[in-house]
Amino acid sequence: MKLTKSFNRSLWVFHLNTGSCNGCEIEIVATITPRYDPERFGMKLVGSPKHADVLLVTGPVTKKMAQKVRRVYEQVPDPKLVMCIGTCGQSGGVFYDSYNLDGPIDQVLPVDVYVPGCPPRPEAIIFGVVKALEKLERLEAAQ
Amino acid sequence: MDLLSPVQTGYGVWAPLAWLIAFVVVTIVVYLIWNMGESSYKKGTDQVRPYLSGNAEPEKGAVHIRASNLYWGYLQALKGYYDTMVPMHTGILTDYIVWFVAVTALLLVIVGGLS
Repeated sequence: MKLTKSFNRSLWVFHLNTGSCNGCEIEIVATITPRYDPERFGMKLVGSPKHADVLLVTGPVTKKMAQKVRRVYEQVPDPKLVMCIGTCGQSGGVFYDSYNLDGPIDQVLPVDVYVPGCPPRPEAIIFGVVKALEKLERLEAAQ
Repeated sequence: MDLLSPVQTGYGVWAPLAWLIAFVVVTIVVYLIWNMGESSYKKGTDQVRPYLSGNAEPEKGAVHIRASNLYWGYLQALKGYYDTMVPMHTGILTDYIVWFVAVTALLLVIVGGLS
């Protein structure tokens, strides 16, 4: 994976709900409020995966969503990162034994950063973004 | 005649050299914009298809506005007429022959009755 210069300046994030209860979405919205204001670092949510560097995935990946998740992942230009927000994406959470899951998310996509919590607090999500940046720096150093 | 010299047509000026320079400048600008594009895009994958909330791209014919949409209001205004006439146009040749024979017989009766 060859990193582009855009990673040095900012991370543009596309959020994808794969069957989440909306708890993680509320915390993601809380993260982008002026209280935390990640946009001052150039990080923001975008409306299309084609503009994104990071795919922010919430939810346990239902069967209906699995193909859509793969398609959206493919539409994010390389190089890209996948961040999994919440317990559902990690293990299925309370839906772990549901008949209707293709997830958790690592069964469908390669995940770079997990942010555990049900839902995780904004501080945890920001910590996850820092971990993602650290991973990018390591990748860049290895190039 | 010099091919590159301006020509006065009476309506305006045709200056091939100016057009040639403009064409070269535009070509250079287009090339520079194209060169700034994301070269790592993979052709033939979903990266080059439109984003439709993760859904597959439908066929062009399924999403484009059809010609019949243009006269939708006309069809709607004459709905009673079309509701009657369209089922009568079955596309079956024998049906049309029956209509032809029936209308001809009706005309013969009317014309014969009048004369």
